[in-house]
Amino acid sequence: MDTCIEKIRTICADLLAKGKVQKVIGFAEGSIPMASRPIAVTSKEDVAKLVFNATCGLNLANYVSDVLPKEGKIAVTAKGCDSRNLVTHMVENQVSRDQLYIIGVPCTGMVDKRKIAALFEDEITDFIEDGDTLTIVSPQKKEKVSKKDVLRHNCRVCTHRNPVVFDVMAAEPVEEQSLDQPFADVDHIAAMDPAARWAHFQELTKNCIRCYACRNACPLCYCPTCFVDESSPQWVGKGQDKTDINTFHFLRAFHCAGRCTDCGACVEACPMGINVRDFTRKLNKDALELFGWEAGLDMEKRPPLDVYSPDDPNDFIK
Amino acid sequence: MMGNLLEHMGVERDRLHFSWISSAEATKFVDVVKEISDKVRALDTDKKFAKDYTK
Amino acid sequence: MNFITIDKKDWTTGIDKSRETYQVFGPVQDENGCQIKPLAPDVHPLMDAGVTVMSPKSVLFPQTQKMLTATLDASIEDHHVMKPVKKDDTPRVVLGIRPYDARAILLVKLNFDNPDYQDPYWCEAYAATTFVGLGVNHPGPCDFSTSTGCGPFSEEGLDVLMADLDDRYLAKILTEKGETWAGACGFDTRADAAESQSLFDILRKEAEKNITSVDTDQLSEKSILDLYEAPFWDDVAFSCINCGTCTFVCPTCWCFDIQDETKHKTAVRFRNWDTCMSPLFTHHASGHNPRGSKVQRVRQRFMHKLKYFVDKYDQGIMCVGCGRCVASCPVNIDIREVCTIMNNYESK
Ligand code: SF4
Ligand code: SF4
Ligand code: SF4
Ligand code: SF4
Repeated sequence: MDTCIEKIRTICADLLAKGKVQKVIGFAEGSIPMASRPIAVTSKEDVAKLVFNATCGLNLANYVSDVLPKEGKIAVTAKGCDSRNLVTHMVENQVSRDQLYIIGVPCTGMVDKRKIAALFEDEITDFIEDGDTLTIVSPQKKEKVSKKDVLRHNCRVCTHRNPVVFDVMAAEPVEEQSLDQPFADVDHIAAMDPAARWAHFQELTKNCIRCYACRNACPLCYCPTCFVDESSPQWVGKGQDKTDINTFHFLRAFHCAGRCTDCGACVEACPMGINVRDFTRKLNKDALELFGWEAGLDMEKRPPLDVYSPDDPNDFIK
Repeated sequence: MMGNLLEHMGVERDRLHFSWISSAEATKFVDVVKEISDKVRALDTDKKFAKDYTK
Repeated sequence: MNFITIDKKDWTTGIDKSRETYQVFGPVQDENGCQIKPLAPDVHPLMDAGVTVMSPKSVLFPQTQKMLTATLDASIEDHHVMKPVKKDDTPRVVLGIRPYDARAILLVKLNFDNPDYQDPYWCEAYAATTFVGLGVNHPGPCDFSTSTGCGPFSEEGLDVLMADLDDRYLAKILTEKGETWAGACGFDTRADAAESQSLFDILRKEAEKNITSVDTDQLSEKSILDLYEAPFWDDVAFSCINCGTCTFVCPTCWCFDIQDETKHKTAVRFRNWDTCMSPLFTHHASGHNPRGSKVQRVRQRFMHKLKYFVDKYDQGIMCVGCGRCVASCPVNIDIREVCTIMNNYESK
């Protein structure tokens, strides 16, 4: 993937120099090992700041609607999942296609930073990526691992690594994965008895600090005032009571039903490393099984819970 | 899908009911409410989404 | 100043002994990372843990704290009258707190315990707590505590400072509280003071070698308005998602919000941590929000820590350099970079 960064920079420099776009949204190098940060580049000189590597796990579709200019376009670099969220944004009228110049980046997956950190007893001081080989250094040891072994879970089960919409591609498309059991994680939970399922979710969220990073990192969560922040009426308590934490997680997830692209930004952002995808994955599975739907693939169709169709499953209505 | 997610989280499916009743269908309304009450009563008081201020 | 030496073989026995007198807090690891928590009777602190994800501020200032309750039952005489909840003021000890977090408690104290106002919840918890610190032998890449009036072996705010010497701890008893704690554990092997101090100095110098440093010397000279109106805030704030993680993990952030809840005939008043990063924090009942935009909120966080606090208290910056916000920020906004920009800023 690091070979495509030169191409990304050339494309961006050209776009900015010719005034085709006013800004480029991409990733820049972080200040600590294994970190990257979203950045808006406005001048040709600054394109050198852009990077693209296996730590760029956030979703840049989250940034476009904040910085849309009144006239003209912005460019955005988009992995497979980012592009699907851009489609969702367009379907939901958050941005229109002609406001965007999409630089598609075929993706071979992002790394699970916690999984890597767990390989070390002390703190990581350096992280070097060379194709599939990652060299990770701490004061105590230096380790080489294959990126494939430390991919995030959502990247391991991703079947849309190539951008679904783009103006230009930064590299040749990569081979898509095919999975025997796309929802093994959901099935695993479903196989438990109800008490164990409840316990699983209680355990999952027990350290949630309700910072809402999961919500704020998600491109789907663009409501001007989120239901948890509403104070009249107040839908949910604001403290650390488990009831309120459960309510937040259940409803946040449900608001993503049929819209979630499983980009993993929510999990990436969570300071406590909580896999909130355990909620949304169930919805993604149901969307696929009940409506044959995967979010962000079709610019012409609205999400399934947004439209009525006579053949919708309706056996839950009495 | 909402019911499925609740069930997936370990909440009893029978606590959530959907129905489509016209304002002219009084008897259907009564039947449905009866059925819901019976089903929810059978599940006993919910502790999962109830706060306890004594703690 | 007394020094004692504690053989690691005796450590857990001593801690268990102290449980008769103290509720014990210490670092524990679970799937969400390492945190300082109350320890169950059969759990011992994980002393060699690195930086805990969350700071130990919650020992004195829980994220959600019940303050007052009332009954709404009109048949009871003093219905609708808010009464304080019973507080737990039994002695407790925090083991393995790091020196930067101990300094942070003193900074938070400026807010909760000052001549104008004493917060009973915080003050009583503070009085009941003994802080047994552990020096940082190997500071991580985010640690910049030497630049914040602190450091890997700073003693400020601690009752005991320990150094990890592989097979034993060397403990410097700093206060009477510390003495009492050592007594309760039965740790009483004295060590030679001069020799111990020089061991501490060696460890400190070694640790300080690897710490990053940040200049803060110009901050108090700068004009508030120049910094406030500086053009760099848009760039600083661009990537921020306003999650408030930085303030929740921070040992010095002290803001809270008060909420009332009722159920049946019980009313409860809580306080919850709040954050300047949340729009709701400053949302007026009128609907107006003086900090309605993201860039205003980001600016507030840094201006409070690095300018307003500096000017108001003259105790340096409101940051102890623990690096938690740097490590936990999902978009890698690094306070060290922002501090440098502010410190070097010249208005045109
Ligand atoms: S990001 Fe993590 S800790 Fe924060 S609210 Fe979401 S699940 Fe909870
Ligand atoms: S819920 Fe999580 S995985 Fe789904 S779109 Fe939002 S950030 Fe991505
Ligand atoms: S943790 Fe980072 S993204 Fe979140 S509010 Fe703080 S600075 Fe912004
Ligand atoms: S501002 Fe950041 S580095 Fe400073 S004390 Fe708070 S969390 Fe630690």
